[in-house]
Amino acid sequence: MSADDPQLDAQALAPLVYHELRRLAGAYMRRERPGQTLQATALVHEAYLRLADAGTPWHDQRHFIGIAARSMRQILVERARARGAQKRWAALDRVTLTDALAVAAHEDAMLPALDEAMQRLETVDAELARIVDLRFFAGLSIEETADAMALSPATVKRRWALARAWLHRELGGAA
Amino acid sequence: MTADQQRRVRDLFEQAVDRDAADAAAWVRAAAADDPAVRDEVLALLSHHSRAGEFLSHPIVDRMPSLLDDEPYAAGASIGTYTIEREVGRGGMGRVYRARDDRLGRTVALKVLAPALVGNPAQRERLRREARAAAALTHPGICIVYALEEIDGELAIASEFVDGVTLRDEIATRLDRASAALPTARELAAALASAHARGIIHRDLKPENVMRTVDGRLKILDFGLARIAQPGDAELRAAALTRTGVLLGTPAYMAPEQLRHEQVDARADVFAFGVLMYEYACGEHPLRAARPNAIGGPLGDVIARCMREVPAERYANAAEIVDALDRAAPTPVSAGWFHTHQIVVIGLYLAAAILAWQIKERRETPVTLALFLALGAVAAVGGVLRGHLAFTARLNRPRLAAERRRTTPATRLVDWLAGAMLFVDGALIAPVRALPAVFAFALAVGIVLAALVLEPATTAAAFGEER
Repeated sequence: MSADDPQLDAQALAPLVYHELRRLAGAYMRRERPGQTLQATALVHEAYLRLADAGTPWHDQRHFIGIAARSMRQILVERARARGAQKRWAALDRVTLTDALAVAAHEDAMLPALDEAMQRLETVDAELARIVDLRFFAGLSIEETADAMALSPATVKRRWALARAWLHRELGGAA
Repeated sequence: MTADQQRRVRDLFEQAVDRDAADAAAWVRAAAADDPAVRDEVLALLSHHSRAGEFLSHPIVDRMPSLLDDEPYAAGASIGTYTIEREVGRGGMGRVYRARDDRLGRTVALKVLAPALVGNPAQRERLRREARAAAALTHPGICIVYALEEIDGELAIASEFVDGVTLRDEIATRLDRASAALPTARELAAALASAHARGIIHRDLKPENVMRTVDGRLKILDFGLARIAQPGDAELRAAALTRTGVLLGTPAYMAPEQLRHEQVDARADVFAFGVLMYEYACGEHPLRAARPNAIGGPLGDVIARCMREVPAERYANAAEIVDALDRAAPTPVSAGWFHTHQIVVIGLYLAAAILAWQIKERRETPVTLALFLALGAVAAVGGVLRGHLAFTARLNRPRLAAERRRTTPATRLVDWLAGAMLFVDGALIAPVRALPAVFAFALAVGIVLAALVLEPATTAAAFGEER
């Protein structure tokens, strides 16, 4: 599909993007957790309904994957928030926090703070934020991310490292 | 920092990141010697890079698979004025919890709807409308909706908590389904008919949505709610139906017109009723059954007509099913004998109490006095129970089978006690007066024989072969 075909409006794209979303969800499922297929599908539905409701004007599948991953981020962050993530995050002192970041403990508690940092990153370098959405929130591999963003895997790998370093600092990890 | 500087930071970082740490720092200092701000930023980021460890290195859903589940409330959690006790089920519509309504102190079933279903205002409005309609249903065979709660942006439906097993469980475990099929069909159709009379359609009738409570009555769950579980986009809906049947309804019980997303009316419920009852009677879904109509008899005919492909050939609504089932098993006439039997036995109890009083008057001893009082008490208890059965037979026929099962041990005990006490009373009065003794013996024999011989006959007439 061409990136700038004006004939394709959101409604016409809906079945395609739904399929695309499922492919995204498939990234979760490939890790083979039996019994979670249904939940992943429900997540896709939730993301789809959000996109449809917001009327986000996506213009091609690649663009769509970017927004879809972003809306998955929102959903996951909200869920973490509903479970009291902020309170647990605020309870971590600075030393514990640095350690926690390094060993990826309390990751769900981190999500609301990470989301705020992501919003700042989007204004600084939107491309980096998209890589994080795809890698961390949508679970795509380096290769899949490269494909979705029309970049080389090597570039994605280096920018992913930059995004991680940037967010690590934003979240208050010691340098 | 300007956009140009940002880009330079990115480029320098990317060139430095693959070098080893000490080497990289020296290289950056040299490469960005002209701009200390850029240089410091790159060095800071490189330092964070070297310390980031596992940070973000695995997708969040791998680390926290529970985030894929929507809102699993733990026991003791509070949602508004409700306290969660435990999760009792989950489906495409959301999770169902047994919860306590702290305002009224009662136990409720709290269905917290999946966020996907209530994401947009139009859907929320539709849900409100459906809940309002469902709340208007007050038939004892339909689970009562108490409230639609909006708590922190979530929608939850609080309804009567039904303790029991679903018909799905019964299909899997119960052995005497064949004999229970007719009364079950009758009771289910009557409940469904009360909703149809108000113009409310269930839309997702299936064995999972019908429960039998611990005291034997049926309750239909989730009235009208299936409608809100369908997103607006027809193509998405079709895709969802074929891919994830569980999520958006249950095609196995849907009428053909419903599967085609055409306008549906009560006849879609009639179809689902037919499939459900077929499965209940045979233990097999009709699509998987070996023979096309394995049930036979009047119930088989009714079920077959419910499952006609063309809606116009089915019953127009559940009330017509009730009529057809009543014609198939002419219960009202036979239940009349059951009713009469109860009234007559109440008369016998009354006579026994009066007789015991007369015997006590003729020969007052502590024993005759005690027997009079005991017979009076037993007659009162028996009279109330049988009066209840008589009224149920007249006014609430579908409940009769369950009520009879419930009261039978007590009425049987009452009959034996009354018979035994009359016999003793007769023996005591016999030396003094012959006539009351004869009455007492006759009444004792009459009550016991009515229980042993007549009651099974009138019961069989009322329930057919079912016991």
